[in-house]
Amino acid sequence: MKRALAKEFWRRFKCHRLGLTGAMVVLLLFIVSLAAPVLSPYDPSYIDIKSILEPPSYEHPLGTDQLGRDVLSRIIWGGRISLMVGFVAVGIATVVGVFLGAMAGYYAGYVDTIIMRFVDIMLCFPTFFLILAVVALLEPSIWNIMVVIGATGWMGMARLIRAEILSVKERDYVLAARALGASHARIIWRHIIPNAMAPVLVAATLGVAAAILTESALSFLGIGVQPPTPSWGNILTAGKDSIEVAWWLSFYPGMAILITVLGYNLLGEGIRDAIDPRLREGRG
Amino acid sequence: MPYNTPLDMKVLARIWEISGRMLLVWGVLALISCPACSRPEDSSKPPERPAESGPPCYGDTLITGSIGEPSNLIPILASDSPSHEVAGLIYNGLVKYDKDLKLVGDLAESFEVSKSGLVITFHLRKNVTWHDGQPFTAADVLFTYKTMVDPHTPTAYAEDFLQVERAEATDPYTFRVTYKKPFAPALASWGISILPRHLLEGRDIMKSPLARHPVGTGPFIFKEWKAGEKVVLTYNPDYFEGRPYIDRYIYRIIPDSATMFMELKAGGIDNMGLTPLQYARQTEYRKFKENFNKYRYPAFAYTYLGFNLEDERFKDRRVRQAVSYAIDRGEIIEGVLLGLGQEATGPYKPGTWAYNPNVKQYPYDPVKARKILQEVGWRDADGDGILDKDGIPFRFTIITNQGNDIRARTAEIIQRRLKEVGIEVKIRIIEWAAFIKEFIEKKTFEATILGWTITQDPDIYDVWHSSKTKPGELNFVSYRNTEVDALLEKGRRTFNQEERRKTYWRIQEILAEEVPYVFLYVPDALPVVQARFKGIEPAAAGITYNLIKWYVPKAEQRHNKLKADS
Repeated sequence: MKRALAKEFWRRFKCHRLGLTGAMVVLLLFIVSLAAPVLSPYDPSYIDIKSILEPPSYEHPLGTDQLGRDVLSRIIWGGRISLMVGFVAVGIATVVGVFLGAMAGYYAGYVDTIIMRFVDIMLCFPTFFLILAVVALLEPSIWNIMVVIGATGWMGMARLIRAEILSVKERDYVLAARALGASHARIIWRHIIPNAMAPVLVAATLGVAAAILTESALSFLGIGVQPPTPSWGNILTAGKDSIEVAWWLSFYPGMAILITVLGYNLLGEGIRDAIDPRLREGRG
Repeated sequence: MPYNTPLDMKVLARIWEISGRMLLVWGVLALISCPACSRPEDSSKPPERPAESGPPCYGDTLITGSIGEPSNLIPILASDSPSHEVAGLIYNGLVKYDKDLKLVGDLAESFEVSKSGLVITFHLRKNVTWHDGQPFTAADVLFTYKTMVDPHTPTAYAEDFLQVERAEATDPYTFRVTYKKPFAPALASWGISILPRHLLEGRDIMKSPLARHPVGTGPFIFKEWKAGEKVVLTYNPDYFEGRPYIDRYIYRIIPDSATMFMELKAGGIDNMGLTPLQYARQTEYRKFKENFNKYRYPAFAYTYLGFNLEDERFKDRRVRQAVSYAIDRGEIIEGVLLGLGQEATGPYKPGTWAYNPNVKQYPYDPVKARKILQEVGWRDADGDGILDKDGIPFRFTIITNQGNDIRARTAEIIQRRLKEVGIEVKIRIIEWAAFIKEFIEKKTFEATILGWTITQDPDIYDVWHSSKTKPGELNFVSYRNTEVDALLEKGRRTFNQEERRKTYWRIQEILAEEVPYVFLYVPDALPVVQARFKGIEPAAAGITYNLIKWYVPKAEQRHNKLKADS
């Protein structure tokens, strides 16, 4: 049964060209990031003051930065940071969101009210400023960044899963499980959540893109990933001040962010189109 | 260290040098520089002379770009350079530095110092009025003095005035001060901005509207202040040295140096301080040189790496020396300043009389650094590349302020060099206000990269004396040395320059041996001014000392329409 579902999914997904492109971009990013130690031509934090701000050349295909470091190497290593931030942050958001959303959806009543009002409150905060405030209090580090992005990004997930569960929990197989005396936990975990995961998968994929953007923005402002660790955002910051003499310092990390975010968004859309029956029917 | 504010040359204005702003500030203020160190590279000196470009004439607007915004235009209450830059055009002191950095009268027409040096008598100018038309008299000076020594006045500059035993206005145009003990910086301390008594007396200075709407005696009159955007001043037609040629002075706040540079090229501003990168790589083409004049001279300032001496690891002098050996200053100057600066070996500017060229040097020597660290007990016992002692790895954080790219990159170079000797450094860049209030003043830092401006008078009591280590005071690294304390006291108690020289040379020897700071570099000031401005004469004092003599020939004036609008 499961295998049939996967097959069906793949059959639809592979017809979705944009989604496939996105998947390939994401896959490529994974490979490059994992192979960073092999692929990057230089140590990303090796300072060479003899070759400051050199334009792209044979030795430095994407040029060098203000301290003579190789931009290509920094972008490759920066990709690791981006992926890590994307996945850990979204992981946190998903766990928190699914847990709270499931509680709210399944138990309904005052549990639902409390959780969903809390979600409303969280949604009222301007997320980016909340992150700025938290980072100002804690020390800026990559771990703090991931936790903070995750902790401020679960609300959408919670709403999605709650809505899904409200419809799933009235289905016959859930009623059957309940009639057989299954515990609440078992019903939620075995019967409801697996059947409500489709939108979560889509939201998570899109969430990775958003988390990468947020990390870049924070690093750009100097409160994200701290030097000498390269990240796309902090390479861009350096590029901003010398954009007139060193376009490569802004252009390449900017492109890296653009392509990555686009890749995740396309992948997310592809997945959604392939698994969402309503959408499919809607399209006829 | 105390800083002389530029435009007004208030010697006393002791300011935390605001760094992001630092290069820019100097650009604007560019005033301080020493003749002995003017370099031949100063070829960018503008060829224009008043004689060649017709007689000076009135009109036009000078727009200056600044990264920082003034915080308070009552200058004794402000400690940031933007406030002092703007206030310096609005207020005067009793004395000022001239273009050769000699003290001359300003609001004082003349002054006499008694033989003992204990009594100074100022004879004030008689034709001076405040911008609101009230006459300026000795009562204003006396009021300013009283405000300075009032413990309720939150000023950082009180110390010099607490040395005064008696201050009196003997007649409306004579002001006399008497000191208990000889006090070398005494005369220079009267460069402080004189405040209008008739607007402040009997009122709470902290709530005075003058903070946002100042009234002074200076060459420019305050017109308006649009928060976060600009401060506008207009010429004072009754200025006692003659009205400035320029009609208006606008201080535009542009918190990003790349944006500011684009504004410069687009004609939105006329004057700013360049970054080394802009100076070396973005201005070397004909069109730019036709439209702008660049200047370059060593700034009266230095940048250092300061240790928190209350930190157990840094209490040991040998550790600090090892760090000093591990840092390659030449590399920082070449890589970050692009050669536009020189090595610092102490708290004075190379070439000035107080500067001691013969102190202990710390040439880059990582092997020696490692050896010293090993002697002290820092070894890499667990083989992870980081030295440790009693199982604790040698890790510390260098903090510096946001907005100064130069400092951030200096930190990155130091980080890499220290890693090579087995010390792991983290860098944290913090917004200016939080940086000063939460970390520097509360001493909750391990090491910091920061800069001090260098005053004309070599008195550095506030920065190094052990009595100045309380929270919020300037000896925030908690340096305590009884010999230095005694020398600092001695140095301010004599007027004999040779004796003072010996005293301050000895202090530099001790500081070089003890390394409470790793002195890094003295950067160059790199101001640029739009070429239509004539009458700029670079001198020891920089370029803005004669701002009131700058002018634009009629045919080249740009902003006269604006004037009609306002």
